[in-house]
Amino acid sequence: MANIQCANIRKSYGGHTVIENLNLDIADHEFVVFLGPSGCGKSTMLRMIAGLEEITDGTVSIGDRDVTHLHPGERGVAMVFQSYALYPHMTVEENIAFGLRRQKVAEDEIARRVKHVAGLLGLESFLERKPKNLSGGQQQRVAMARAMIKTPKLFLFDEPLSNLDAKLREKLRTEIRKIHLDLKTTTIFVTHDQLEAMTIADRIVLMRAGAIEQQGTPAEIFDQPATRFVADFIGSPAMNFRDCVVNRDGDRIELATGSMRLQVPSQEFGALAHGATVEVGLRPSKMDLAAPGDQNSITGRIVLVENMGSEGQVIVDVDGQEMSFVTKAFRTLEPGQPVSFSIEPASIHVFSKETGRSLRKAG
Amino acid sequence: MGRLIRSSLASIFLALMVFIALTPILWTILGSFKRLKDIVTPVPKLFFSPTLENFVTILQNPSIRQGLGHSVIVVGAAVIIGAILGVPAAYSLARHVRALKDDMQFFVLSLRFMPPVAIAIPFIVLYLDLGLYDTLAGLILVYLVTTISTVIWLSVPAFERVPKEIEEAAAMEGCGPGEIFLKFALPIAMPSLFGALVFTFVLVWNELLLALTLAAGNATLPVVAASITSLGKEVPWGVINASTVILVIPPLVFIGLLMSFINGMMKPARR
Repeated sequence: MANIQCANIRKSYGGHTVIENLNLDIADHEFVVFLGPSGCGKSTMLRMIAGLEEITDGTVSIGDRDVTHLHPGERGVAMVFQSYALYPHMTVEENIAFGLRRQKVAEDEIARRVKHVAGLLGLESFLERKPKNLSGGQQQRVAMARAMIKTPKLFLFDEPLSNLDAKLREKLRTEIRKIHLDLKTTTIFVTHDQLEAMTIADRIVLMRAGAIEQQGTPAEIFDQPATRFVADFIGSPAMNFRDCVVNRDGDRIELATGSMRLQVPSQEFGALAHGATVEVGLRPSKMDLAAPGDQNSITGRIVLVENMGSEGQVIVDVDGQEMSFVTKAFRTLEPGQPVSFSIEPASIHVFSKETGRSLRKAG
Repeated sequence: MGRLIRSSLASIFLALMVFIALTPILWTILGSFKRLKDIVTPVPKLFFSPTLENFVTILQNPSIRQGLGHSVIVVGAAVIIGAILGVPAAYSLARHVRALKDDMQFFVLSLRFMPPVAIAIPFIVLYLDLGLYDTLAGLILVYLVTTISTVIWLSVPAFERVPKEIEEAAAMEGCGPGEIFLKFALPIAMPSLFGALVFTFVLVWNELLLALTLAAGNATLPVVAASITSLGKEVPWGVINASTVILVIPPLVFIGLLMSFINGMMKPARR
């Protein structure tokens, strides 16, 4: 078990810098998810911590030991790959025990530990099989067992669930989380799936173009996105964005575009200047059908109702632009009907048009 | 109905191709069991009383026995040394060389562009000076040009097909580059590597021109077989057929064994 420190990390390929001056601290026992679109540097970051990728500049420490120039095998980390990376010429048991055999651990000790991890992951009946005779989910369990048996200080997961079907992904996600609650090993988990990140993480590190865009608990990232990019990346259905003009009348702050008028609390948005154009973000899941007399109600014509089971996403034409909101009472709604929906002032996000940063006053 | 005709036409065509391809070989095998008087009949004979005389003649002939021995030594040594040097070179090219990788691979391939005669003549001069002319060692040396380049050329893609993550997973367990090569890359690439070795083996086993020009005294089997055809007016067809069969058996057995081995390794997964 260990805390991780990445200080002033830089990574460049030839003259092309992909990660610049990145700093990150991970506490002992923490489950951190690196999240971001493909090419944002999250996998490169993970591979540098693993030792599979050279670090151009900066230091990585694991448990207060500088490992920047150590061989991957000497860092006390274990990794699970997206493609499972099982050794095809060995049985499941040999796969799991390879690392221990290599370290000349006594055979009865190996047998005991293989039995333990195989039990944890439900692999007892597959130990004598070759990997190619297992399903994708079973293969990934073997890969996890192979990582766990070494009792590493740090677990690294590189998009481990991306090759699995949706149902299995959910199941293994829960299993990984449970195992973490049990073993409490510090874990870094890379994914591009925001839902996966939200459900599994203690803390999300959201990356974009080689830099950390925002980090925080899933709730912080979801409710207080620091930038438009984060707001757009997190949440499904995706956030609605509209350019609005700020109207200030004393303490009243109103954001207006077309027929839309939104009032926001002045204590949080005191910095908004009268007449400025800002980008307003409204989460579909934070809106619902308007009750009579609701503040901040938006009116439009229904274009489409998408049934998502217990809820429905309603796509509405507002002043010629589409917006969406989510409601449980979608079954009575029909395309072509006029509809009004509203949002709590606390759930309105305002971003600068220039920097994309949130204009909500912190705290 | 149309489908039936089409599929039966396809079968007939296939049978015809197989017949054309196999007939000379079958005729040779048949001929190796015939007496001369059964071979030189104006009407080809399908039914005759078979004899092992030809094989006895062949196997009692010291030059053929010697040729077989020479072939095994020369080809065996050239292929084994070629594999020992070529396979690691191919792995390095596939995994560790970035700069000039394509140029190196092309250079290796270009060694195979040269006509054997172009190699033979300078080698005769060199070997005469070095005292390697007409020695097995000299022949092995010149065959190594063929085996190493062929092994490298065919093995690079075999190693490139080994998933990189597997080697990285091994590195995470503390394996160094040498251990990764021996314990992971090599066994995983083995089926394809065997194909490369078989191809290389057949290539040098059938080689005639270099063997003829550089080591006529220490003749290999193709040289001996070729020399039998010039034994005078009374061509011993039966003996020639028998020697052809003997020449073909080792590569056939080799390929057969390897095919079954490869099939065993490539067995489709149970699901």
